[in-house]
Amino acid sequence: MLIEFKDISFQYRDTDTCVFKDITCQISGPGFHSLFGPSGVGKTTLAKMLARSVNGFSGEIMVQQIDNILYSYNLERIPGWACVGEHLTEITRASGEENRRDELIKSFGLRGCLDSRFSRLSMGQQNRVNLARYLLQEFDLLIMDESLANVDEITKEKIILKIKAMFPGKCFLYISHNLAEVAKFCKQILVLRDSAKTPQMISIDGQNHMKGKPLDKKFLERSMLEIVHAS
Amino acid sequence: MLHRRILQFLLIYVLGLTSLLFIKYVLKLSDYVIPGPQGLSHTVSCVFVKYFFDVMNTLSVAVIGHIISVCLATIVGIIGRLNSWAGSFVKVAAYNIQAYPIVAVAPIIFILMGDGISSRLLIAAVICYFPLLLSFIGILSEPVRDIEHFYEVTGRMSWRLQVKIRVFENMNKLATVIVGSATLAMVGTIVAEFIAADSGIGYSIRIALYQSDLSKVLVALFLIGICTSLWLTCLERIGYLIQNHFRKG
Repeated sequence: MLIEFKDISFQYRDTDTCVFKDITCQISGPGFHSLFGPSGVGKTTLAKMLARSVNGFSGEIMVQQIDNILYSYNLERIPGWACVGEHLTEITRASGEENRRDELIKSFGLRGCLDSRFSRLSMGQQNRVNLARYLLQEFDLLIMDESLANVDEITKEKIILKIKAMFPGKCFLYISHNLAEVAKFCKQILVLRDSAKTPQMISIDGQNHMKGKPLDKKFLERSMLEIVHAS
Repeated sequence: MLHRRILQFLLIYVLGLTSLLFIKYVLKLSDYVIPGPQGLSHTVSCVFVKYFFDVMNTLSVAVIGHIISVCLATIVGIIGRLNSWAGSFVKVAAYNIQAYPIVAVAPIIFILMGDGISSRLLIAAVICYFPLLLSFIGILSEPVRDIEHFYEVTGRMSWRLQVKIRVFENMNKLATVIVGSATLAMVGTIVAEFIAADSGIGYSIRIALYQSDLSKVLVALFLIGICTSLWLTCLERIGYLIQNHFRKG
């Protein structure tokens, strides 16, 4: 699996502000990769370019062994006419992913939400439901744009470790503002900076923490410092 | 809901009537210009039943015309939501045609179709159709991105699902627009009857106008107000029940 951004430059129509200027970087192999940077720097735009929902940029985005790219974000909702359980059943009916659905419901702590309307859930629960339904789809790369925002740290850790265990062959691009989280769980952190800075994107190695693997605290601290310096 | 609407109408009606009587007694106008309470009560006893059935006649035409409009606006709104040439054409046509006062076309409709029920029905439907259509196109063209995104990226989106999502998310707006246009349908039917029809409360008002009988007009207005209030409350109730049904599943 390979994703390569080659000399990507982009500016929105009717503006003079350049969002990206000659960005070049590479993501390789399955697992958790992160896109990190301050608000407004263009993380979502770059992710949408990768998902092919933003066009009009110069340069090239090359992908190898990745056919299905899904982009999920934290403000998504499910239709109000069905409760969470009904919706999850509906979207897994054709694919026959009932076992995976039940496993995700259990490990994401969603049992208590199944009979509720989406609008009645807390924001953290809503984000967990939304992420679970994306994980029930066919994908090679899942972009998680703040998909675990408003979820408490303990649950978040459980969810990320579970995803890693359940989908070892899939690629994830995790967009988050939480420095410790990206340094701990991601194997590669792409730090996106202001377009005035050169290079605009810096790649840093993360801890890629897995279940049963001890945490190297020194390495983690070094990664976090590198990310802070880079951004 | 019902008692508030009827109370509002009665308040306005009584205020209007009191103002008329005040003008009559201050300016010492004859009963021929503005009838007194005695004349009014006499007219009520004479024409109340006939006018009630006339209003029912008008209301039934308005209701059918309104239903036709809602169905037509839904169909055209579904086409108008498209980004294709058909959608753009429908949008441009709707925006341009609605700028023309439809009442002005009413005489042509009567000339071509006669003064029977079909003309009244057509005018009632057309008068409330364009405001409905513009709202429907606006609502159905506006994507609900937070919900639709998932279905689009996973290839599950169909036109039926898209319409269902947009209608569900804008149920309140749609209910308000439909209730609002019901008044327009009633107005359209009365105007049509007033111009050239041979039945309905608009026709009766036209006769009362020729007879310069203000008391008959006042009785007609009272019945129109009460029956329209009842119909609007009924529509609001239906909208409320539909919304509740979907929300509770």
